[in-house]
Amino acid sequence: MMLSIQDLKVYFFSDGRVARALDGVSYEARKGETVCLVGESGCGKTVSVLTILRILPQPPGRIMGGKVLFNGQNLLDLNEEEMQKIRGRRIAMIFQEPMTSLNPVFTIEDQIEEAILVHEKVDIEEARQRCIQLLKDVGIPSPEERLRDYPHQLSGGQRQRVMIAMALACNPEIVIADEPTTALDVTIQAQILNLFRELKQKREMSLLYITHDLGVVANIADRVYVMYAGVIAEQGEVAHIFHHPRHPYTQGLLASLPNRVKRGKTLHSIPGTVPNPAYKPEGCPFHPRCPDVIGTCRVQFPEMCDYGGGHLSRCPVLYER
Amino acid sequence: MKAYSENYFQKTGMERPLAPRETRWREGWRLLKRNRLAFAGLVIFILFFLIALAGLFLTSGTKPVFDPAVVRLEEKLRPPLSNAKLEILSSDRVPRLGLYLFGTDELGRDVFSRMLQGAWVSLTVGFVAVGIAVLIGILLGGISGYYGQNAMRADQIFLGAVLLLSGGLVLMGITFFGVVLLCVGGVLLVFFQWVKKRASKGVETAWTRFLWMRAISIDTLIMRFVDIMLCFPSFFLILTVVALLPASIYNIMIVIGLTSWMGTTRFVRAEFLSLRDQDFVTAARALGVSNWRIIFRHMIPNAIAPVLVSATISIATAILTEAGLSFLGLGVPPPHATWGNILSDGKNFIFDAPWLTFIPGVAILIVVLSFNLFGEGLRDILNPRLRERS
Repeated sequence: MMLSIQDLKVYFFSDGRVARALDGVSYEARKGETVCLVGESGCGKTVSVLTILRILPQPPGRIMGGKVLFNGQNLLDLNEEEMQKIRGRRIAMIFQEPMTSLNPVFTIEDQIEEAILVHEKVDIEEARQRCIQLLKDVGIPSPEERLRDYPHQLSGGQRQRVMIAMALACNPEIVIADEPTTALDVTIQAQILNLFRELKQKREMSLLYITHDLGVVANIADRVYVMYAGVIAEQGEVAHIFHHPRHPYTQGLLASLPNRVKRGKTLHSIPGTVPNPAYKPEGCPFHPRCPDVIGTCRVQFPEMCDYGGGHLSRCPVLYER
Repeated sequence: MKAYSENYFQKTGMERPLAPRETRWREGWRLLKRNRLAFAGLVIFILFFLIALAGLFLTSGTKPVFDPAVVRLEEKLRPPLSNAKLEILSSDRVPRLGLYLFGTDELGRDVFSRMLQGAWVSLTVGFVAVGIAVLIGILLGGISGYYGQNAMRADQIFLGAVLLLSGGLVLMGITFFGVVLLCVGGVLLVFFQWVKKRASKGVETAWTRFLWMRAISIDTLIMRFVDIMLCFPSFFLILTVVALLPASIYNIMIVIGLTSWMGTTRFVRAEFLSLRDQDFVTAARALGVSNWRIIFRHMIPNAIAPVLVSATISIATAILTEAGLSFLGLGVPPPHATWGNILSDGKNFIFDAPWLTFIPGVAILIVVLSFNLFGEGLRDILNPRLRERS
């Protein structure tokens, strides 16, 4: 197992209130696999990956329990120095906003080379050659001429490619991508997704991909975790999730997707909004919005129900039906 | 940069031109040369420093080339560019070239020689003092802005206070108590370690709870210290310290620097607070870049602009502060000239001899202005987003 998160609990403390951002989340990514985390804004996707890399702002956040196992080693036990050796070299991350994720005062060459030189002792000429190769790999045309450009001279898609090049600089075993295409327009988004698929095949790395776009999930994922309000609602192979969703939330999400059959009709939407993590409802966190709610949902936190083949869903009501 | 197609290179068999590798220094130099105002600022600034350096040698020794100390009471308050009256002066008191280039002061001393003599002191006071202030400001402001939210435990504060106090006592010459306090600090350190060890075994007493109390954040600690420093009228603070220390020009530079870093600290802290939450800082952390490297390589170049602006203005203030100290007899001892004390002496004769205030004033202005222009160019070099504007 490459990366495995077990029963992770991260709470935010502010103004005397406790926001349970992650309430016992477990997921895993195997070698060479693409895993998608799906969920609405504020459900804890980003918090969970920031916790993996231990760059969660603390305070206000605090890790209340659980494990982050990376090749069997619990990352939460490491000190800052040991963590720095893992960040970027073995686990790399790509951020959502390519516009602001590059330092505006350095050339892209400086920044990619820094990603290499922080972890490896190579001379500057070799770093430069690798930098050019990386830019080629991520599909930047004539990289030799782009090296001395500053981030503000590049377009959004190109900047995101540079971010990907930086993440790949040290051949990490797993790349975490936090909504890398959300800020890009649709054609660029398709190009970047293709790039991810291509790179993953070439480099045999795992990819943990965070998104709220089910279209993206269908496009690249091997397995999917659907998150809701700090817990995993449903998990399984991408075909299972899309064809036989076993959780009312997943069903709602899929029903909200536009498609040809639904042309001309009002698009479905899940009623209500995501609960404030500081005031989560009792019992199942989804019950105020759930069409299949019964009495026990309001008082009892649901257990995972196994449908076989790695398909699990946190809804006993549908399981018993 | 002209974009050629792949085909072009294949057809011509030409090597694709590689963007030449350029170090940051060389790139900065190229940009500086392009920015005429900044370049002029740098040239003037270097010129002044060379003049000051020359003045150091030309006005010292037993028989200096330009003697600033010769008193000619019969020739007092002569305007600039007036010729010396050779018939009434003995030959060893005639100014160089027989000309008072910048006029004479109320004692008939040649202002040009005095300006030369004072140039080095004034320039170094300005730059060393501001350099110290900016260094302290960036360091404290950076720590406050970056690590600010981390709380300090009561034991850390306690230990820090004891060690600082003992260090201060030793420096002030009260060695015995200093060393005693240092030993107390050592004992405390051992005691705290012991408490910590017991606490890790699960023994929790009122002591551990007191010592592990998250008392105040680093940010609060530093910023309240800034407030305290700002509360003192800084001139009197300088006077106190100068009175305690032997009066030498280097002590004055250091003291002026040590009492004028608060503004820079606030600037840097404010910049760091906004930069810390920027995505590129998080991205750098996710790449495994260490905290110090993030501060120095990623954040300071982004935060430097307001610091440079305030620093250029502080230079003039530092030169004038030195003048004020000299005026009160605590700065450079009187026969030695500095731009500041030429200026403050001249203000008594401002209607009879305006050049006595005008000339040093203009000299300070030019230095500050040239440094300001250079600083602006430097800011553009450090921040590529600003380059397009000029």
